[in-house]
Amino acid sequence: MDDLEKAILIIFDESGTVTSELKSQAIAFCQQIKDNPSICSICIDRLCFSKLVQVQFWCLQCLHEVLRGRYSGMSSDEKSFVRTSVFSMACYESLDNSNSVKVLDGPSYVKNKLAQVLVTLIYFEYPSIWSSIFLDFLPNLSKGGVVIDMFSRVLNALDDELISQDYPRTVEEGAISGKIKDAMRQQCVGQIVRAWYDILSLYRNSDSELCAFVLDTMRRYISWIEIGLIANNTFLPLLFELILVDGLPDQLRSSASGCVLAVVSKRMDSQAKLTLLQSLQMSRVFGLVAGDGDSEFVLGIASLLTGYASEILDCLKNLNGDLKRASVELLNEVLPSVFYVMQNCELDTTFSIVQFLSGYVATMKGPSPLTEAQLFHVGQILEVIRMHIRFDPMYRDNLDVLDKVGSEEEDRMIEHRKDLLVLLRNVGRVAPDVTQLFIRNSLSSAVGSSLDINVEEVEAALSLFYAFGESLSEEAMRTGSGILRELVPMLLSTKFPCHSNRLVALVYLDTITRYMKFVLENNQYIPLVLAAFLDDRGIHHSKVKVSRRASYLFMRVVKLLKAKLVPFIETILQLITVIHAGSDICFVVQSLHDTVAQFTSMDYAAKDLSGCEDGTHIFEAIGLLIGMEDVPLEKQSEYLSSLLTPLCQQVEILLASSRVQNSEESPSKVANIQQIIMAINALSKGFSERLVTASRPAIGLMFKQTLDVLLQILVIFPKVETLRSKVTSFIHRMVETLGSSVFPYLPKALEQLLAESEPKELVGFLVLINQLICKFNTSVQDILENVYPVIASRIFGILPRDTIPSGPGSNTEEIRELQELQRTFYTFLHVVATHDLSSVFLSTKSRVYLDPMMQLLLYTSCNHKDLVVRKACVQIFIRLIKDWCARPFGEEKVPGFQSFVIEAFATNCCLYSVLDKSFEFRDASTLVLFGEIVLAQKVMYERFGNDFLLNFGNDMKSLKSFYQSLIENLRVQQNGSLVFR
Amino acid sequence: MALPNQQTVDYPSFKLVIVGDGGTGKSMISFVSLSFGKTTFVKRHLTGEFEKKYEPTIGVEVHPLDFFTNCGKIRFYCWDTAGQEKFGGLRDGYYIHGQCAIIMFDVTARLTYKNVPTWHRDLCRVCENIPIVLCGNKVDVKNRQVKAKQVTFHRKKNLQYYEISAKSNYNFEKPFLYLARKLAGDANLHFVESPALAPPEVQIDMAAQQQHEAELLQAASQPLPDDDDDTFE
Repeated sequence: MDDLEKAILIIFDESGTVTSELKSQAIAFCQQIKDNPSICSICIDRLCFSKLVQVQFWCLQCLHEVLRGRYSGMSSDEKSFVRTSVFSMACYESLDNSNSVKVLDGPSYVKNKLAQVLVTLIYFEYPSIWSSIFLDFLPNLSKGGVVIDMFSRVLNALDDELISQDYPRTVEEGAISGKIKDAMRQQCVGQIVRAWYDILSLYRNSDSELCAFVLDTMRRYISWIEIGLIANNTFLPLLFELILVDGLPDQLRSSASGCVLAVVSKRMDSQAKLTLLQSLQMSRVFGLVAGDGDSEFVLGIASLLTGYASEILDCLKNLNGDLKRASVELLNEVLPSVFYVMQNCELDTTFSIVQFLSGYVATMKGPSPLTEAQLFHVGQILEVIRMHIRFDPMYRDNLDVLDKVGSEEEDRMIEHRKDLLVLLRNVGRVAPDVTQLFIRNSLSSAVGSSLDINVEEVEAALSLFYAFGESLSEEAMRTGSGILRELVPMLLSTKFPCHSNRLVALVYLDTITRYMKFVLENNQYIPLVLAAFLDDRGIHHSKVKVSRRASYLFMRVVKLLKAKLVPFIETILQLITVIHAGSDICFVVQSLHDTVAQFTSMDYAAKDLSGCEDGTHIFEAIGLLIGMEDVPLEKQSEYLSSLLTPLCQQVEILLASSRVQNSEESPSKVANIQQIIMAINALSKGFSERLVTASRPAIGLMFKQTLDVLLQILVIFPKVETLRSKVTSFIHRMVETLGSSVFPYLPKALEQLLAESEPKELVGFLVLINQLICKFNTSVQDILENVYPVIASRIFGILPRDTIPSGPGSNTEEIRELQELQRTFYTFLHVVATHDLSSVFLSTKSRVYLDPMMQLLLYTSCNHKDLVVRKACVQIFIRLIKDWCARPFGEEKVPGFQSFVIEAFATNCCLYSVLDKSFEFRDASTLVLFGEIVLAQKVMYERFGNDFLLNFGNDMKSLKSFYQSLIENLRVQQNGSLVFR
Repeated sequence: MALPNQQTVDYPSFKLVIVGDGGTGKSMISFVSLSFGKTTFVKRHLTGEFEKKYEPTIGVEVHPLDFFTNCGKIRFYCWDTAGQEKFGGLRDGYYIHGQCAIIMFDVTARLTYKNVPTWHRDLCRVCENIPIVLCGNKVDVKNRQVKAKQVTFHRKKNLQYYEISAKSNYNFEKPFLYLARKLAGDANLHFVESPALAPPEVQIDMAAQQQHEAELLQAASQPLPDDDDDTFE
């Protein structure tokens, strides 16, 4: 062993006995050798004598590297030497006939490396320099399997490295690949195919592995060689024979079917393709798929059949007349086998199955009724869909409790179902009757199926029914077209034996909700609907996820059926509280309380419960029902009081105990109160302002009393953020429901809410004030005059006068809260100004905040990074100028304001901020801001006359020309469409 | 097989080659996600044993990863050939004797997926017929460029595909489980203990998440949100 060999062994060492230091030395040594001018002969020399595979691999790798990197710099002698040597190795020849080593005796990776080196030579030399490589190779094939194997490796490497379009290639590589293919087509492809044929004939019984290897190579070439070389009366019979002879190994048969698939997939004109497909007599292989569905061979045949069917489908789409009919015939012949494959083979090609079936279904669209064959196929397609959307029973428990495995499986299935259900809807559109019938049969057979699969069968059938609903027209849904008229009532009155399963219960509820429009027209089924939602299939289901979903869906159903439900209110209330059945009001209260707890328990953290399913929907539903004007006043008061009184009492008891103990509030107590507020809040949504204030003030009174009680919460728990926000939400609601009759409650409520002054709390408070102003306009002037000084002092104490830090490191919760507060405050100022309430800023107590407010507005109108905020500030200025400045030379209402506006606002905002390069006229919001600025100038000019103009330096002309050019520029950019307000 | 300064083990071990464009997070799968450095932690969680050997001179990192299966302990020597293009690297020489492989790409960088076939070809030239897993990494990132549906290469070549997020440990064990099953020839083999994973690195997502939550909160505090419209689908 010489030094190079030793060094190579060291760098490849995996035994752990070599130190890093030695390894580095070895690497340096090998690297140095690579730079030797005679490196090629050094490598070839070692390849002839070294039996060490590492050395062989390294030498071949090195040759490859040298050829890739330095080919153009090599002498023609050196190139010729490399060419001859490498080719001899590939042909299993000894270079000097004595004791030499043959690379082809080495492992695959060495032979593949040799092939890669040869292909590199082909890249540089074929066909111009070394035109005979392929022809030279062919006579050597008679040496036997070793050379045939190597020849195939070279062809495979040629495909991988240069020809195949599966890899990203440069333009240059593409051109060279084209050149090589053209030369081969002209020169040697025919002979190579002939050689393949001979090899297969000769070795089919003795060396099936070799034959399979050759076929796999051939498969790669069929796409670009003359198809007639394979698709003829010689080669095709051989391929089919290899496929059909039972005794041959699967691998060989499978490779042969791969070649037929390549023939089938060859790109050609539709008419020629149809002729080719007809000539294959493919029906002779149909029966083969009935074998072991997991074997490589059966999978190969399955791919062949689906590929074949797809090609026929393409012909069918592109051809007309007799040719189309011939395509249909061919397709009808293969479809049963395709359906079989789809149902029985473990194919990882579901996507293409769906694509194929969608393509087929698309051919059925049209005015003519479906043929018998098509109707039969529709049934088969539905069966395939049903099978593919069915969960595996092995995940049943995981899915039921929704653990990690279960939720992964559910996610996977949701994704998997998407395309299949699109297909179902397409089928539903072309063949609604067959689809409905199929769904009905699936449902009834699912119910009767054996226990170990019935959950999955029922779930799948219901999912089909649910998805089918999406393809139905409004009309079909309402009238119950076809057998829907039977199906919907049947479903409503069904309780599945597996109804306790989470998935079954959920899809059941979603499905009946989807078909609710049918019940809207067919009121006789309302009792069935109520039972379905309100018994243990719905809100009384043992799984909380189901009962909450039921509560939400029931609310939606109530919204839809509302007026039809009046006669059932009593029943509904009873059903909701049925667990504690009894007419005694105490029981009802008790059970209601349990219901409150059941539906609103505080596991918000559970991520599977979306925000809209917090369980309060059942109260919203009740509210919607009992809040209707159709309910007689007496009944309405009774229902409402039976709900509100006990809930309020609960709150009062809890509050009273806190008052006495004066202790730390317990989490459970807080949670309890929170649940009750949420329930009342949801309940109140069903009562309109008109009913509560105008037609039935007695109902209004009940809500006022409730508000009184709930406001106490703020007194007792001023610091509990969750309760504050819930009470605030309730005040929001009461503003809407009670209208102006809420006024008497506001001072106290606002005072309590203002007790806290953290940014988050202030935001909540401002949002409430904004609501009040928007709803009541100037009627809230007095209230606002009282609260504004407090708000202003808090906010100017918190907000910085200039920019809130932004950029890296400033993305903290505190800064986000400040930004939020700032934004809300601007909205508040805007709302005040635009609702004729600007005098609030001028009251005695507020006056002191006028200056900081103006400074903040000025700064923001010039500098805020959000242009929408800047626009709002400019609009505030416009309002204030209008409100506070009379016509030119009028009395100054707010001393100093006019000069501030002219000197500070007009200059900084209207001029300098516009000149800043951040002012980008191509941006839409900038343009809107600019429009406001121009409007502000117009208003200033109207109000201040020359005082305004003089500020720009007595020079009317220069100002004019500046604006003119600005606006002209603007017009150019806006294509003249800018509208001045 | 063993490596310098690493003890050989008396349970089955396999050479696992990890390839893919740089920056796809290849090293993450064997490196960042596993707990390391804290000896006491390793002692307490035997499944998370972590050692690493970096040999800058040859441009490859090898990490032994142990997994407990129902059939006993197994070890993957993960060859992360990140630096193979560097001067002196063995390039595809590292793949020799590879018994299984992971090809990684980054779902947020289209080019890394485009190069997957080339990695596969180079790998198969040296390692014929070994089980290979294709992994799309960084699926936690919001704006992915390679959608799950666009990933079709594995179908052509009969590979297993997993979407993973090395950063959040999502599906971390899946490729290893698949390879272990293939190598053991036992489709029912399973891991009996989860490998001790380092806590997911979530700082970057937290900001977005908090922002998101803040928006939700803000939406919730708006007056009278009518959280449900009247439209029935």
